[in-house]
Amino acid sequence: MQTDELKAGMSAPERSRRTLIRGVLVFRWVWLGWMSIVAFMDVGDFRRPGLAWASIGLAGAWTAWVTVSSRRWDQATLWGDLAVCAWLIAVSGLVVFEGEVVHRPFFATGYPLTAALSWGVRRGPRGGLAAGAALGLVLVLTRPLNGVPLGNLPAREIRDLVSGIINYLVAGGAVGFVSMLLVRSAQALQDATAALVRERERAARLAERESLAREIHDSVLQVLALIHKKGRALARRGDAPSAEVAGLAELAQQQEVELRSLILRDPERVPEGTTSLRGDLEALARKVDDVDVSVSCVGPLWVDRRVGDELVAAVRQALANVVEHAQATRATVFAEEDEGRLLVSVRDDGVGFVYDEEALRADGKAGMLKSMKGRVEDLGGTMQVTSATGKGTEIELAIPVASTTEPGGR
Amino acid sequence: MSEPIKVLIVDDHPVWRDGVHADLEAAGHSVVGEAADGREAIALARDAMPEVVLMDLQLPHVSGVEATRRIVEESPHVKVLVLSASAEEKDVLEAVKAGAAGYLLKSSTSEELVDAVVRVRDGEPVFTPSLAGLVLDEFRRIAKQNTGEPELTARENEVLKYVAKGYTYREIGEKLFISTKTVQNHVQNILTKLQLRKRYELMRYALQRGLDQAPE
Repeated sequence: MQTDELKAGMSAPERSRRTLIRGVLVFRWVWLGWMSIVAFMDVGDFRRPGLAWASIGLAGAWTAWVTVSSRRWDQATLWGDLAVCAWLIAVSGLVVFEGEVVHRPFFATGYPLTAALSWGVRRGPRGGLAAGAALGLVLVLTRPLNGVPLGNLPAREIRDLVSGIINYLVAGGAVGFVSMLLVRSAQALQDATAALVRERERAARLAERESLAREIHDSVLQVLALIHKKGRALARRGDAPSAEVAGLAELAQQQEVELRSLILRDPERVPEGTTSLRGDLEALARKVDDVDVSVSCVGPLWVDRRVGDELVAAVRQALANVVEHAQATRATVFAEEDEGRLLVSVRDDGVGFVYDEEALRADGKAGMLKSMKGRVEDLGGTMQVTSATGKGTEIELAIPVASTTEPGGR
Repeated sequence: MSEPIKVLIVDDHPVWRDGVHADLEAAGHSVVGEAADGREAIALARDAMPEVVLMDLQLPHVSGVEATRRIVEESPHVKVLVLSASAEEKDVLEAVKAGAAGYLLKSSTSEELVDAVVRVRDGEPVFTPSLAGLVLDEFRRIAKQNTGEPELTARENEVLKYVAKGYTYREIGEKLFISTKTVQNHVQNILTKLQLRKRYELMRYALQRGLDQAPE
């Protein structure tokens, strides 16, 4: 707990402890005053008045110091306090005439309690009880110091002694307990507040993103989309230097797609160690230039990161194949999870081919497909190619999955 | 070009409206109006008698989703084709539930746009693969919740999956040995079920609020 406080600076639990310590301080002054008044009135009954006044002076100085010193109640202060209070108890046996301590405990009753209280505040119930026990022990010692042998105390005096000890123990323990409860609830409150603040910040960020999205939608995206569209049309018409216009259109499209992906999807809470297959496939599709690739997924599809990486790599190869061989205008990547199987398909509208592994191998074209198949089989899955001349090609990958997790919300 | 189609363009961005306007006229269609916000769109859909409304989703005053709902309610024969710069899933899905007949990304080419306008006018639902993925997701959730709301038949599910995979209606028909028209009907039914689901939602909401009348 100590290190936590140091880390957090002035934490809420620390603040509640300080409040309690200030309360104890009031007790100190009250007891100090009462101790002085009683000593003044009974000064004639002291066998060592000098020691009595010196002790009151010590307690006064100590009280004044802990009042004005802004020092926090650390280990040294606590031990100092325990020493001062133990001294006051011990002195109570020394200042009165022999055998009198039983009737006139003087310094032992009031002020020393504050050490038990302070220990309780700072160290919880255990600290309070320990300090109380230490004070109790010193109280026992006052009897021999007062010339009363412990061996043959009458029952009444034993009872008084025990009740004195119990006083110390209860004071330390009870305040320690209260302090502990206070600290815990302060901590809980602090945590709850922090969580609330985080939630608010998140909401504010989302709202900001939304307004940003609207802004960008209105100005930048619209114009980019237009440039991209018009640029392509101009390039096709051919009366402008078409390569340049087409390049311009590509540039606008890239920016448009990038901006859109940046702002328009809710940031999803990512389950530990997983990745959104949809997100990864969309990112991949944006990088393919020569064919129009659209991605269609049933849900965000949270999959194990390793599985996701392998599948994306396989799809990348499939798309490279499409660009190189299919003469397609567009390709669609589809992914879904259905009954424990993750299905990913890459479909193009190109020329198609006759899928015959033997023939492909003979032509030296089997490499890429084989490597894709290897990836999928490593994941315990299968690959199926459906194609016919002139009818495009569909490559479907199926791998078993435990279950893609759906985090709260979408 | 057989017959010019009367189109209303709804977009808050004048540059965009001009561009689309030019594309449509170049293809021989007639633009009967342009609206810059949802309110204007609703009024013009009533007054200018368009056959197809090209609807942007992010509009001032009245949103594109709301405008779509009102237009479809007031004039069921008008087809609303959502043309959005964003792939914002919720909005797109809401627009389709509100009665949009199709959805196209603004990054589509001029040819695709003009083609989609013709198809939508002819009663063909215009779908993108990614929208099909969203709709599949939506119906999977319905099936899991088991609320008795309309679910997809096995065949509709199959058709939708092919759309999500990027197959055209004709290709799907060939694969399933059914006519292109039947495929379109399936897709239309899927859309209707989505819109029905929206009504269920509204009704449930109304019942929970203790209203004795379900909203339209």
